[in-house]
Amino acid sequence: MNFDLDETQNLFQATVERYAAREDVAGRLRTRALPGAFSHDRWKELAELGLIGIAAAEADGGLGRSLLDCAIVAQALGKAQSVQPWLECGYLPALLLAGTPHVDTIISGESVASFAFAEPGRRYSMDAKAVQAKSVGQSFRLSGEKQFVLSGSIADVFIVSAHTGSATELFVIQRDMMGVDVKPYHIVDGSVAAVLTLHEVEVEGCLPNSAERLDQALTAARIMAAAEMCGLAQRLFDDTLAYVKSREQFGQPIGRFQVIQHRMVDAYAKVEQMQSALYRHLLGGRTETASEACGLKSFVAQSAIWVAHQAVQLHGGMGMTDELGIGHGLKRIILLSKLFGDPASDLATYAKAA
Amino acid sequence: MDMQFSAEDMAFQAEVRVFLDDKLIPRLREGAASTPSVFTEPDITREWQAILKEKGWLATSWPQEDGGPGWTPMQKYLFERECAIAGAPSLPVLGLKLVGPVICKFGTPEQKAHFLPRILSGEDYWCQGYSEPGSGSDLASLKTSAKRVGDRYIINGSKIWTTHAHHANWIFALVRTDADARKQDGISFLLIPMDQPGISVTPIVTMANDHEVNATFFDSAESDAANLIGDEGQGWAIAKYLLENERGGSCSAPGLLAAIARFEAAARAQPSGTNGAMIHDPVIAQRIARLKLETQAFETTELRILAELVKGRAPGPQTSLVKLIAANLRQSVDQLQVDLFAYDGLQLPVTRPLYGNEAPEAIASREAQLAMPTYLNGRAWTIFGGSDEVQKSIIAKQVLGL
Repeated sequence: MNFDLDETQNLFQATVERYAAREDVAGRLRTRALPGAFSHDRWKELAELGLIGIAAAEADGGLGRSLLDCAIVAQALGKAQSVQPWLECGYLPALLLAGTPHVDTIISGESVASFAFAEPGRRYSMDAKAVQAKSVGQSFRLSGEKQFVLSGSIADVFIVSAHTGSATELFVIQRDMMGVDVKPYHIVDGSVAAVLTLHEVEVEGCLPNSAERLDQALTAARIMAAAEMCGLAQRLFDDTLAYVKSREQFGQPIGRFQVIQHRMVDAYAKVEQMQSALYRHLLGGRTETASEACGLKSFVAQSAIWVAHQAVQLHGGMGMTDELGIGHGLKRIILLSKLFGDPASDLATYAKAA
Repeated sequence: MDMQFSAEDMAFQAEVRVFLDDKLIPRLREGAASTPSVFTEPDITREWQAILKEKGWLATSWPQEDGGPGWTPMQKYLFERECAIAGAPSLPVLGLKLVGPVICKFGTPEQKAHFLPRILSGEDYWCQGYSEPGSGSDLASLKTSAKRVGDRYIINGSKIWTTHAHHANWIFALVRTDADARKQDGISFLLIPMDQPGISVTPIVTMANDHEVNATFFDSAESDAANLIGDEGQGWAIAKYLLENERGGSCSAPGLLAAIARFEAAARAQPSGTNGAMIHDPVIAQRIARLKLETQAFETTELRILAELVKGRAPGPQTSLVKLIAANLRQSVDQLQVDLFAYDGLQLPVTRPLYGNEAPEAIASREAQLAMPTYLNGRAWTIFGGSDEVQKSIIAKQVLGL
């Protein structure tokens, strides 16, 4: 029994901390003011550190690290409140494209990929219906609309789920292909997502073993979302604890008031329970079960939202502004809590399987 | 005991409905419905204000001799209720509902004659200078000073969370006129013109991307001594009157119930993505049902307070609960709205307003686009006007005697 990080894990954590140290509130707002709210320079730095391809096989140019190692990176990025879309544009696309010729430039940071899965009126369903892939001779023609394509405004490559008439398959589309239309819109964490419209976009074929590939990648992505939320909640807790110790009202730090003390203890318990749930999941040997990942994500997300609400409340008016990291933390948690399912739908999936 | 409105009440209600049907043109409804915050933008409110002024229904909480409509508490309630249900724009509340009643109650005849007509006409737009960076929940510790020099006050310090200070030409402020007195006793209530070199306003953008609050700085700003309301040192008592006026005789439940009904309709229309409409999802259905039960009970709590007011009696201790319950119900409704729209509820436009020709294009629907800004903005409900923690302490002490 041992919950200490090993040497490599410590190194990953320290690397992320060093990398993200520049992403204070001002740094984040600077990135958000760039076109597409995205910094290509910072993304390349992340790639040079090996972090985009951390989970990818060495044959693909990745580091081939374990889920646990990756979760430590995700948690450290969360704790640093990094604005890099590591999970949605790095980690996840590298898994979805594993073993394909597309993966090199993603891992090297030369191109940015995004997974286009969400469809109008289809809520959290992962079965493609709105995008159809018509078989034409040796190739396919894709038509239809995807929404909520994360950082889609700056993505060069889209991995698109589409229905072939018999099953949901994954296709790779380049932004500059004929018939690809990208309409950007701002979302909650300050990034710029896109509506992706495809008109008869011609592609050669789908990714091999799409269904299995998708299941595995989604399960891993849910775990990483949980890990990032653990980091985010920890940061919100730490910042709030420091604040209630220093903010004085009625002649004393507000942390001297019992109501604040008890609230902070509740938050502390939530943060510890989130961390335990994450470790149990990663070390308990059921990381490949989709429903287990849903259960983890639901549990962590509900706690993280509660902690974030308390962080805003205890910071008072300042917690409402964009001048502190508190709101940034809440907003990223909200996004992650609903990625590939919200706490209620994830819990339903878990309950059904358990 | 009964819960019926009288025939006269019903007739009044019908009259209000006819008026609202006629006067609430689509542009006003859209402007009101598409504002994520409590405060509708001035372009919309000014227009609505002019319509109500013409009808004589504007300053509902003012005495008739000062320009109010002379309504009973029941009529005031019914008017507010119908406005909330119809989705009327909010009015410039800081002038009409906060400083207006204070001037009516404590102002000199000269102050009344000067300021009240200008509030009614919209010529003056008011903001409030209460909180300071170091004085939030502990408002009485405020430091902004006003020093009497001849027939003028010289003001130095800063105020924070000054809603719509960037639109206002006047601010009513709590200022310290006596540094040596016990902290509440050194506070005065002063009206200060905004258009002067000694005042600067810095925007504070919220996490919802709204600009409605500001920091307002006073660097040897000036105001005529005749702009003091009441006497020096009376500011705290006046502020308490104002806050009670802000909280008492409330009508929050009807608007909340209307919102819940709207989202229930949305849940009937919104596909679950897998199996029928969202309303068939037991988790969503139960959340809506639970919210309805809570809000219906709250409606009756507000009616119990109203019944006391109607009889001319001082309302009971329930009044202290109103803000607390309303704020938490509002946040639950906001959360429901976000959850209903799944990914569509995660859009968060960076530009405002969300109505008119310049509005950013909505993904799925305007209702979905409004979900996230409304939810984020609404986190302030349990903070402003006395945070939940402060409210609960007051209730524990003053109502429960703890």
